[in-house]
Amino acid sequence: MAQQEEEDPHTQSSEIGEEEEEEENDAQIGERNGKRQSVEDRHALQFLDSLDDYLIQMNSLSVILRQGWLELASARHSMGASRVNGSMLNLKFHSASTLVRVTQDDDDSGVEKACFTLSKWASFDNGKNGFGEGKFREEKSDGPQLRHRGASPLSEIPEKTSPENGASLIVDDQVQKERLKSLRIFGTLVSPKLRTAQLSFETALEKLVEIANTRSTLLSAFDQVKDELEGTKG
Amino acid sequence: MYGFEALTFNIHGGYLEAIVRGHRAGLLTAADYNNLCQCETLDDIKMHLSATEYGPYLQNEPSPLHTTTIVEKCTLKLVDEYKHMLCQATEPLSTFLEYITYGHMIDNVVLIVTGTLHERDVQELLEKCHPLGMFDSIATLAVAQNMRELYRLVLVDTPLAPYFSECITSEDLDDMNIEIMRNTLYKAYLEDFYKFCQKLGGATSEIMSDLLAFEADRRAVNITINSIGTELTRDDRRKLYSSFGLLYPYGHEELAVCEDIDQVRSVMEKYPPYQSIFSKLSYGESQMLDKAFYEEEVKRHCLAFEQQFHYGVFFAYMRLREQEIRNLMWISECVAQNQKSRVHDSVVFIF
Repeated sequence: MAQQEEEDPHTQSSEIGEEEEEEENDAQIGERNGKRQSVEDRHALQFLDSLDDYLIQMNSLSVILRQGWLELASARHSMGASRVNGSMLNLKFHSASTLVRVTQDDDDSGVEKACFTLSKWASFDNGKNGFGEGKFREEKSDGPQLRHRGASPLSEIPEKTSPENGASLIVDDQVQKERLKSLRIFGTLVSPKLRTAQLSFETALEKLVEIANTRSTLLSAFDQVKDELEGTKG
Repeated sequence: MYGFEALTFNIHGGYLEAIVRGHRAGLLTAADYNNLCQCETLDDIKMHLSATEYGPYLQNEPSPLHTTTIVEKCTLKLVDEYKHMLCQATEPLSTFLEYITYGHMIDNVVLIVTGTLHERDVQELLEKCHPLGMFDSIATLAVAQNMRELYRLVLVDTPLAPYFSECITSEDLDDMNIEIMRNTLYKAYLEDFYKFCQKLGGATSEIMSDLLAFEADRRAVNITINSIGTELTRDDRRKLYSSFGLLYPYGHEELAVCEDIDQVRSVMEKYPPYQSIFSKLSYGESQMLDKAFYEEEVKRHCLAFEQQFHYGVFFAYMRLREQEIRNLMWISECVAQNQKSRVHDSVVFIF
């Protein structure tokens, strides 16, 4: 009895130790499960957020494109069908004025996804862009040069502004000139409605790149959620 | 002598004046436009137009229709009516009727030259030309490299030849030169037409002077607004304005230096006939300016029919039909794009 009594405390202490160890293991497992659950929840939330953004942006794109097409019809109504039609498009070789760069980036979880960057009016952005420079230089020397008829009123603006925002105004002036240059296929004196249509389609292009990035995030999040679900089932 | 046209006009012009007044009665009414604005598809528009004078021109067109098809077929009707009047007309009415088409001829020349510069196929460009502005050697325009060749090879034998004297250079054709050429030709054409009508005298001179002066003033405003923010200098802009009209010469001097739409408004509001046009617009807005000008133009053209025994009715009828075709084009675009809420943005009712 005494021996049993002597053995029981040891058993009890070992049992207690085992229980404590089990509890500790359980706590650790619970903590790991909790972390994994929060990661899974985060991925699921990320997927749902991306999906929501994607749907909102698609709707926004539809609205912008509808507006652009109507403004183009309005410009055709104003200027005449002979001035605004598909036959005016230039079939001569010329570099694109806007470029899209696709790179592979890692997101927060270290998963690779495609990233899209838009470079608008790249033909004046020589050197800053870093891709396609040769083509732009080629275009500048080959294409017919606009006969310079004196200072444009807009060109006076940068001289009058302060140095802090002078650089941004010069860039805006260049962008405006590039916009007018691309509209020149319809004539140099075009209706303001055509310029408005151009801005709408430009906005639509930006929106498309945003949608592409959102879709890339969405697909990346979807893959992660899918992997986690398959891991859970396994 | 003004006032005695009633004695002699009907000898040569009576039949055609009756014809054009009959055609005027066939213009679409507000009720027709209301029906058209409620159409859901282009086939519905075709169905509604089948009950009008456009019916025979659209009935054989297969579905699905396109807006350009509707415009082309409606334009064919105008061309047929014009050709009938031209072949029945004697001098000086026949010359007067030919003058009406020179604007379209200028547009076609610029279309071919611009398209050729952009390396487009000539056949494709010819299909886009306005039928009222066609002439025999128009396809040869694609060969010219500069304005001197353009004149020498093709245009010297056309009615546009006298208008080329102000813009003949040996510089190669590019987008800016072509635009300058277009506006210079149109300016010369309007001035020539104005002088011709003045020579005719009587009611024709009085009514056409008013209509052409309005056309010249509207052109001046459009050139000003369209050239804001471009590289066109003030001097070049001033050179494109016509040498007649209500705005000539002081209004032109002020318009030449305008840098934005509000400055244009402040210039135009000094002239009572244009004050009412600009009063419909809010500050900084130019989107509804076209419609305001079209409404004023339609009003003046309708007034031309209030008087008899003059040639102004022919000019007014052609312009009213062109406005009607623009209305149909706009309605068709709004229906095709499912934007019927915007249909009244640009439709101008004639009656």
